[in-house]
Amino acid sequence: MIINGVAIDDTFAEAFGMRATRILITAFDLKWAYHAARAATGFATSVIGCGCEAGIEHELSADETPDGRPGVSVLLFAVSGKELARQVERRVGQCVLTAPTSAVFSGIEGEPISLGKNLRFFGDGYQNSKVIGGRRYWRIPVMDGEFLCEETTGMVRAVGGGNFLVLARGPAEALAACEAAIAAMSKVPGAIMPFPGGVVRSGSKVGSKYKTLTASTNDAFCPTLRGAVKSELSPDVGAVLEIVIDGLTETEVRHAMRAGIDAACKVGSAGGVLRISAGNYGGKLGQFHFRLHDIVK
Amino acid sequence: MSALTLTLRALPPHSVDLSPLIPDRLAGLSKAAIETIALGSRGLQVADLFAVSRGDALQMIIRNSSDRLTGIGSGMKQGAITVEGDCGAYLGLGMRGGQIAVTGNAGPFAGSGMTSGGLEIRGNAGDFLGAALPGDKQGMRGGIIIVHGNAGDRAADRMRRGLILIAGDAGAYCGSRMLAGTILVSGHVGTMPGFALKRGTLLLFRHPQELPATFQDSGKHALLFLALLERELRRESERFGRFLPLGNRVRRYCGDLANGGIGEILVLV
Repeated sequence: MIINGVAIDDTFAEAFGMRATRILITAFDLKWAYHAARAATGFATSVIGCGCEAGIEHELSADETPDGRPGVSVLLFAVSGKELARQVERRVGQCVLTAPTSAVFSGIEGEPISLGKNLRFFGDGYQNSKVIGGRRYWRIPVMDGEFLCEETTGMVRAVGGGNFLVLARGPAEALAACEAAIAAMSKVPGAIMPFPGGVVRSGSKVGSKYKTLTASTNDAFCPTLRGAVKSELSPDVGAVLEIVIDGLTETEVRHAMRAGIDAACKVGSAGGVLRISAGNYGGKLGQFHFRLHDIVK
Repeated sequence: MSALTLTLRALPPHSVDLSPLIPDRLAGLSKAAIETIALGSRGLQVADLFAVSRGDALQMIIRNSSDRLTGIGSGMKQGAITVEGDCGAYLGLGMRGGQIAVTGNAGPFAGSGMTSGGLEIRGNAGDFLGAALPGDKQGMRGGIIIVHGNAGDRAADRMRRGLILIAGDAGAYCGSRMLAGTILVSGHVGTMPGFALKRGTLLLFRHPQELPATFQDSGKHALLFLALLERELRRESERFGRFLPLGNRVRRYCGDLANGGIGEILVLV
């Protein structure tokens, strides 16, 4: 399959079941909501080393938030419910509670996990709860007034690790195509691309020659190893970048992949994009398979 | 299906406990079975007091009601009761769900011990609205009470959870010994509001004439939870319209400092 001069490999992305939640962070203005959200989703690129994968889903206007202030929606994904709860509490406690004027609310229905339930103890006995509309909120006195947070957020089953690879003539061409892809994918609700700028250059394979490592560089897609390993790259490929997608359901991952691949293909061979491929582990590890040909047809 | 209607034939010579007549219990019963339900301990039956017309028991109407009819809707879990006229004490006592609407006035202890559901009183409420019965540790424990008129003394005494909205005035000791919850008063409040308040919020549209000495001024603040409360009230603006707009700018008085000082009286500014 070739679109606008870009070959689409007959392969699939392999993704895994995860646990996810959505939280809504509001603040005095959008700038401070972003400060809190960026801090809360920092160092959350991969569950392997960060505990969770997280990202900003989209902006929220004042009439879309519970407290009538501007905000952002944040998605967090982890490999287990217990780890997700731990990450949410830690990140909200250190990055949202601390951010001036911020407040945080649940943005999804599901199995309840703590949001402000334990953070309330920061109030040292001066915290107050209010049940409004059947939901419990905590008012924690802080130096700029009160930090308002919902007691729990919902946890749902989700999909993590959807991906595709952009193979291009060089790093500049690959980056331009990925930037176009991320711009399109960011508009898909329910999905995030957790890596820096949404793009990852250190794609990995399972295992390593070093016994302590469970993953190592994806040598088959490293252009500098062409000739030294069984490479997947033709001589004209100078750089490969990957976009990883986590979504609340398979549908969101599929829609995000479609939007991203379409955008990369729009750049086309004229822009130096040569192939679109995807990462998988032979189909034996992940429960979700996203065939590229099915997605773009 | 029309509502099950109980029309009071004549004013009873004494108060009558109507707590057996709740939608949960009447649903599925025949007219004859309803008419023979015993009321109180003086051998009265429903048919002695009411003309019963068949209908949906989950949409009950009590017509020609009087303040001698007590305990209406006690312990109900579902359905709706409309009371046309006044009603006596213990309206919605310990109710766990459903809705009660009274077109007239309600007697003392309305909504006492209720845990869920809604109580709407178009007229005035008596003393001890949503308060604890003597000997009980907690009053209202959930749900919403709306009073369109005035409330008597000791409204929300020992209230534990829920929301009380009073469009008119509230009497003395409003929110006394409150454990938690929110009470909103549009009109004036009587003496000693929030006396021995432990936690919870008295939200007042007008500054009280005087506050207990054990409340201290925390200054003016914009409190975010009030924005949530306002948004919740706006969802049912037909019921709550007279309490809107609320705003979130308040003068906060913390107290009762003689009882922990975690509660607050908020006066909208």
